[in-house]
Amino acid sequence: MPPALKAHGVTKQFDAVVALSNGALTVEHGEIHALLGANGCGKSTLCKIIAGTVLRNGGSIEVDGAPLVPKGPADSEAAGIALFYQELSLVPQLTVAENIYLGHEPRTAAGFIDHSKLQADANALLEQFAAVAGSGLALHSLVARLSPDQRQIVEILKVLARRPRLIIFDEATAALDRRQVEFFFRMLRALKAQGVSMIFISHRLDEVFEICDRITVMRNGETVATFSTAETDMNRVVHAMVGEMAEHLHPPHVERPPGEAPRLIVEHASGQRLRDVSLMLWPGEILGLGGLQGQGQSALLRGLFGADPLASGTVSLGNMGLRLRKPADAVHHGIAYISGDRGRDAALHGRSIFENIAAASFIRERRVLVWPIRLAERFRQAAASLNTRYPGLEEPIGSLSGGNQQKIFIARWLATKPSVLLLDDPTKGIDLAAKADFFDLVRGLAAEGTSILFYSSEDAELLGLCHRILVFNGGAISAELSGQALTALNLTGAAYGNAA
Amino acid sequence: MTGMAMVLRGRSWLVTLAALLVLVAVNGVLQPNLFTGNVLKSNLTVFLPLVLVAIGQTYVVLAGDIDLSVGAIIALVNVVTVAVINAVGNGVGAVLLGVTAGLLTGIVSGLFNGFLVAVMRFQPIVTTFATGIIFSGMALWLLPTAGLPVPAVYWRTYSGSLLGLPVTLWIFALALLLVAILVRRPFLTHLAAVGGSRTGAFQTGLPVARIRIQGYVLAGLFSAFASLCLTGETASGDPLMGRMLALSSISAVVLGGTALAGGSGSAFGSVLGALVLGMIGNVIFFAGLPFEYQTLVQGLITLAALAGGILVARR
Amino acid sequence: MNRIKTLLAEPLVLASIAILVLLAAGELLSPGFARGDQITRLLTVAAILGIAAAGQSLVVIGGREGIDLSVGALISLGALTAGNVMSGSNGAILPAVLAAGGVTFAIGIVNGLGVTALRIPPLVMTLGMMGVIQGGLVVLSRGAPSGNAAPMLMSFVNQPLLLGLPGILFVWALIAVAMWFLLRRTSFGYAVYAMGSNERAAALTGMPTSLLRTLLYGLSGLFAGLTGVCVIGYTGNSFISVGDQYVLPSIIAVVIGGVSLAGGAGNYFGVMLGAIALTLLQSVLTTLQLEFWGRQIIFGAVLLGLMLLYGRQKQLRV
Repeated sequence: MPPALKAHGVTKQFDAVVALSNGALTVEHGEIHALLGANGCGKSTLCKIIAGTVLRNGGSIEVDGAPLVPKGPADSEAAGIALFYQELSLVPQLTVAENIYLGHEPRTAAGFIDHSKLQADANALLEQFAAVAGSGLALHSLVARLSPDQRQIVEILKVLARRPRLIIFDEATAALDRRQVEFFFRMLRALKAQGVSMIFISHRLDEVFEICDRITVMRNGETVATFSTAETDMNRVVHAMVGEMAEHLHPPHVERPPGEAPRLIVEHASGQRLRDVSLMLWPGEILGLGGLQGQGQSALLRGLFGADPLASGTVSLGNMGLRLRKPADAVHHGIAYISGDRGRDAALHGRSIFENIAAASFIRERRVLVWPIRLAERFRQAAASLNTRYPGLEEPIGSLSGGNQQKIFIARWLATKPSVLLLDDPTKGIDLAAKADFFDLVRGLAAEGTSILFYSSEDAELLGLCHRILVFNGGAISAELSGQALTALNLTGAAYGNAA
Repeated sequence: MTGMAMVLRGRSWLVTLAALLVLVAVNGVLQPNLFTGNVLKSNLTVFLPLVLVAIGQTYVVLAGDIDLSVGAIIALVNVVTVAVINAVGNGVGAVLLGVTAGLLTGIVSGLFNGFLVAVMRFQPIVTTFATGIIFSGMALWLLPTAGLPVPAVYWRTYSGSLLGLPVTLWIFALALLLVAILVRRPFLTHLAAVGGSRTGAFQTGLPVARIRIQGYVLAGLFSAFASLCLTGETASGDPLMGRMLALSSISAVVLGGTALAGGSGSAFGSVLGALVLGMIGNVIFFAGLPFEYQTLVQGLITLAALAGGILVARR
Repeated sequence: MNRIKTLLAEPLVLASIAILVLLAAGELLSPGFARGDQITRLLTVAAILGIAAAGQSLVVIGGREGIDLSVGALISLGALTAGNVMSGSNGAILPAVLAAGGVTFAIGIVNGLGVTALRIPPLVMTLGMMGVIQGGLVVLSRGAPSGNAAPMLMSFVNQPLLLGLPGILFVWALIAVAMWFLLRRTSFGYAVYAMGSNERAAALTGMPTSLLRTLLYGLSGLFAGLTGVCVIGYTGNSFISVGDQYVLPSIIAVVIGGVSLAGGAGNYFGVMLGAIALTLLQSVLTTLQLEFWGRQIIFGAVLLGLMLLYGRQKQLRV
């Protein structure tokens, strides 16, 4: 019998960036197969290609021996493949039952929604899952009123209601607590007994070893190894994720300049995605925020910038306690925030390069009148210090490449002469040369005494740049790495919750 | 979830219902003969057009869009209906033909709006503002000034009775029945899904553009119903008919607990909202407020309803 | 070829070409259309529209579906207020201008608060406000025309003042300079473009976007009030719906002038050209003896055509 899924030599390129150079994965019928790898290894891209939301450039995919060339999600769905969306696909204003059967409502002969059947089907589905959902999950309650973990359960039920033969669970347990995870696993085992195959992506290695039959590891866009869970252990898997080379590659270790007193002190910061985070940041220090994506790193940075204010906790700069309710509060205290999501968070689309650089300085300096000619020289210098290639300050920002645009947004903040720089995955989608320039710049700023909090989704960047790394897991700091402990192995291990 | 619970989704309509009851009570005190058959009937005749437009507007707003052209559609439908009746001759057959032409006009106008917004991806607000101007220009073209009477059979039927009950009551009941039928169709859930989370609906595989167009078509159709009722009331063609109904219908929808952002609400709520607006007009009138103040007070109440409705929805 | 294409996509070029074509068409249809005194007359009408469109352009540039449908009612209110404060006396012109501008500015601020604090969509908020102002006008005027312009104001608007041009054209030029200064030489203007282009990014540089937006609606009200003063100067007295005819043209002028309905782009010089082009179009249509309905349909179609050029929304993607 051919395997449930066989992907071979799958490639994908986004513009100049190769996301996948050789994706391979074989999933047997009734198998739970883990897909692991560091951030940016290509596992999500491979899953999206299988689910039909991303089109591949090359390679082959077979489902039950039949070739699959999806043109969109509908084709993959027709082949019995369902993707569990990490970004929720639920409609908050509809009820649990309506969401589960959205687009697949059972109908009566007259074409009305068959409420009794809908109710019965949903009940049957919920019954399988009652213990996980708990008594709080009522079929007629609105999704908007559910807690994040309940929403995740509804999302899972929605996938199951479509009776797929292969389910891709991308971080499906992220919002569940231990007890719910256990029930979730019980359900996975029941599905497995029915012959359903599953691809399981999780940042919790212990879960992987608990539930999965086999493990495929990806690195740098390539499938590098497949293990049978019973015949391997966590260390070997982590080694495979990190690679032989990186394992021995210790970053050129630099001590932060000896500082008198910490510049930024955060105590017990909590928020929607943040649990009791405390840290100290010294002048001239580059402090990395590590861990898998979405573990609270961005939430902390945005909280410190006043963009998504912290729910509780104290922040002090020097000896001064800060009230950070809106970005202007942070800007006036010399805190700058650079996001990697340029299009959404930074780009003033259609406006000139001058305006894009000048925006933050006007606020920082509480400027009223603007004489562009007098300011031009200053901003030209700010841009030049970053090796930015641009045609002229009056050209629109869209005329620059992604990397050069990001330099403009960095120049925007350098022009405000910040004392604390918050970097939120700032190198997303920019080319290698621009990255190298950027790292030189960050090192230079640190050498001049700027304090830098640096979150990157690429471990290599953190290891190459930081004096210290705090590893985040589930909104809290799970480990601190410094000195000789700053290794790829330790970082990956800590991110996956494996005590190094 | 049962059908009844579906109908009464959300709680904000309860507030509207309470307001309606209070207004009815106040009106009853100011106007002791309120509860006689004739007065009730004339009230229903006055309220019916807004009730119908508000129902249609609900479906557009549920999908996260808006239709500012409903007032102009009413004028256009009226003019088309009256023109066709007069062109064919004034018999019963002509009336039926005219009504059919009017309904088609409403549907085509809705299709046009839906096409521009959902397929061409024009911004809904400005687009329906522009199409509204075009529709009313067309109405003025077909009939430059008010006039052109409809045959007696039309308005006599409209103001008459059927099986001992006023025809307007039958229309009201039929509209509610239509709403009840729509509530039970998957379509309404899909409409709310599109309005609640367009990306979510798209990811789930719903045909988002088609659903939005259907919403606009319903708005056009219900506007046509409203126009045919208004025509029965005025018994003639009027190219400026229904000018204030676009804003009033939005107010009624908001008062009825439908979120302007889309995704939640019900047409039954909008019916309550429309009745509340109508009763406010009654109370202002019978409270002896000078004529000049009526537009101002109604405008203020409309604005307050918009603000209040949005504040309630956000909680 | 490509350069010609990009040039034609430039709104300023498009508006200028439209102006020339319309002038030529007018002259062809009715010789004398493009004569000096006719053009002065036309510019006077365009100036009144242009001043109303100044406020409209500010709220549109500010983004988030910014639009002000209450300008028509505010113009009527401005005209009524000014007319009643002046009641024909030259000495009361300044108080009249201040009163009209003050009242309409305050109402504009209320619009702004509705849009920012209550998050009512701008179109709905200003449409609702339009209804309230119209109701207020009925109460204030008791339905009858009231107030009249001071003779000096009327001659300022209608009679040559300097170089054969009426005073209102100099006011328009002054407003143009003021708009340029506000938008291009103050951080306020830079912030308006920034938040119109990307509100999230603007907020992330620390700009007080809600405050700015509220002020924009206040300014739109202020300009509508000034337009009202010009209108009463132009016609001598006011009636309660005198401003209604400016709502749609003010929006179209803004769009023709290259201000994107999505916000964050355009400038007032383009809007001035847009106002002139639109006034010309109206005048040509009148020369053609096209009736009101025809002008309505053409205006609506022009607006839809401009939406096709500048106003489309993003496609849905996963």
